[in-house]
Amino acid sequence: MRRRHFVFPILILSAACSRAPRVANDVEIVPAAKLTLDPNDAVWRDAPVHAAKLLLQDLVEPRLMKPSTAEVRVQAVASGNEVAFRLHWMDATRDDQSSPGRMVDSCAVQLPQKTEKDAPAPQMGEAARGVEITMWRADWQAYVNGRGDTIRDVYPNAAVDHYPFEAQSLAPGSTVQSEMAKRYAPAAAVGNRRVGPRKSPVEDLLASGPGSLSPNAAGTSTGRGERTKEGWAVVIQRRLPDGLSPKVRSQVAFAVWEGSQQEAGARKMRTGWIPLSLKESSK
Amino acid sequence: MARVFNWQLGREMSYWYPESRPQKQFAAVFDTNKCIACQTCTLACKTTWTSGKGQEYMLWNNVESKPYGSYPQAWDLKLLDMLEAGKWNGNVYEGKTIFESAPAGERVMGWRPEDQDYSYPNVGEDDCAGQVDHGALMSLPHMQWFFYLARICNHCSNPACLASCPRGSIYKRQEDGIVLVDQSRCRGYQECVRGCPYKKVFFNPMTGTSEKCIACYPKMEQGMQPQCFVNCIGKIRMAGYINRPEKARGDNPIDYLVHVKKIALPLFPQYGLEPNVYYIPPVNVPSSFRQQLFGPGADAAVAAYRNAKNDPDLAALLCLFGCTESMMTHWNRQGDWVSASDDQGKQLVKVPVKEPVVIRPAFDPKQQLVRINCP
Repeated sequence: MRRRHFVFPILILSAACSRAPRVANDVEIVPAAKLTLDPNDAVWRDAPVHAAKLLLQDLVEPRLMKPSTAEVRVQAVASGNEVAFRLHWMDATRDDQSSPGRMVDSCAVQLPQKTEKDAPAPQMGEAARGVEITMWRADWQAYVNGRGDTIRDVYPNAAVDHYPFEAQSLAPGSTVQSEMAKRYAPAAAVGNRRVGPRKSPVEDLLASGPGSLSPNAAGTSTGRGERTKEGWAVVIQRRLPDGLSPKVRSQVAFAVWEGSQQEAGARKMRTGWIPLSLKESSK
Repeated sequence: MARVFNWQLGREMSYWYPESRPQKQFAAVFDTNKCIACQTCTLACKTTWTSGKGQEYMLWNNVESKPYGSYPQAWDLKLLDMLEAGKWNGNVYEGKTIFESAPAGERVMGWRPEDQDYSYPNVGEDDCAGQVDHGALMSLPHMQWFFYLARICNHCSNPACLASCPRGSIYKRQEDGIVLVDQSRCRGYQECVRGCPYKKVFFNPMTGTSEKCIACYPKMEQGMQPQCFVNCIGKIRMAGYINRPEKARGDNPIDYLVHVKKIALPLFPQYGLEPNVYYIPPVNVPSSFRQQLFGPGADAAVAAYRNAKNDPDLAALLCLFGCTESMMTHWNRQGDWVSASDDQGKQLVKVPVKEPVVIRPAFDPKQQLVRINCP
């Protein structure tokens, strides 16, 4: 049967759709009816944008000596007890596969653990004055989006003769089989949360100074990142910081890692603290 | 950076952390002249520790056909080129180590292999070493083959992997000096891969963490030598504990070979890590190449090794290589016999320095058959 093809007239976009969001000097969290992890959702159309200049992490070794990502554009919306940040930055290369010598594109949002007048040191906090960090990684996003978690997903032509824990005598998925598999994955055996396959593209972390990053078991953050024409757009949703209110401001900081430039860990582009305010609902 | 004394360089040097010596230091001696590159050690390690997902390419133990074989590719040439030649004044190294050469913003001078660098476990293996009928197709600075170099983690006294990790995820055990990656703490930044000049830390893409040789510490804790040692067909390896030169004990097998006879030398001491795997250098390679790998004592070590037939104690100790699975901490020669014991004085093994020669007649009257000498 022949299909009929229809040509729809191109609708003229409304003025509201084409209007660029307001530029803000700080990061302003504006109220939203509902939060979304979709970086292309309409909720972001009107949220004010803060263009955060990124600085080299050149305070502690190993330092980043060559600048890469120049700026991250940040928007924030809140609903109920949750806040969602949308980070958008330019990145010509998609680096979403971690392997020997290959780093991944990533970003992170950092907030003080306590909302106080004086924020702790912006470089991952300080002793007894910690920070909460939520990190998104492009490789975890790829796993969540359906990429497999085997060596052939990294190297399609890899030849593997045999894994001991996949012997015919071991029933797939059995306790014996999974216990044996763990023996050959030491990080999994000791509960390292970086072990794949990931169910979420983000990770909640705590820090109290450089080199002190640790998992935040109480964290409930979620997120989603998408490749755009220019780079990445990532939404990170987390609990609103305790103490933050329309009358009490806090601080927020961001970091971006450019995988193609071998950035990981301390080698990153980052901001200092940026004032964070929660706007009252006009309704 | 702190200042530490590196006895292999005969001087103080810069290191990221202050000097901290373990109670005991795991060490090993490999006799390069006995290695035939059968790779049994490689397989022993592989089947024991790295048969998991993400570990497919890992060779915590490997054997390279030197001068060109290398895993990962050009691990030695690349850093030697970056470091540039440093001079020795006698036994004192006057050049810069990788810590002293660290560029601004770095803890060590290092480089990170690309994944393709792990594609060839041993370039040059089984290449012909002599002249082919119609001449070689290409000429290289060295002969295609000099000797076989077996490698594991050196469990260095000044580990560059440990110094490189910004999270302190790598530690050196106080009880035996073994260097380990804390698998619960590692976040896979691969700084250790970049920092280790021997490229003996490997990134596991499935777990997102770095992994390395653990010197089979569960065996060592039971008083046994690691898997790659006990499975060595050529009996080229001996594991034990080494003391500082000023505390060397002549009845400690490792001390005797390294400090007393000085026939076992560290690999690339000029890097400054004070590696704890010591090599009896190969006898049949150019002296300059040998010294680049094993330092200024390499020729004297070869001379002492060649003279072992006239040195009853050295000849006896060399017979203990590969004779027992147990860790030997003491040794003793009595006449034509040599024995080894543990810290409790329990004798572990006793072997003759010269195996008795038994000549069997060609015809066996009991079995009524003629024996054939197989080549």
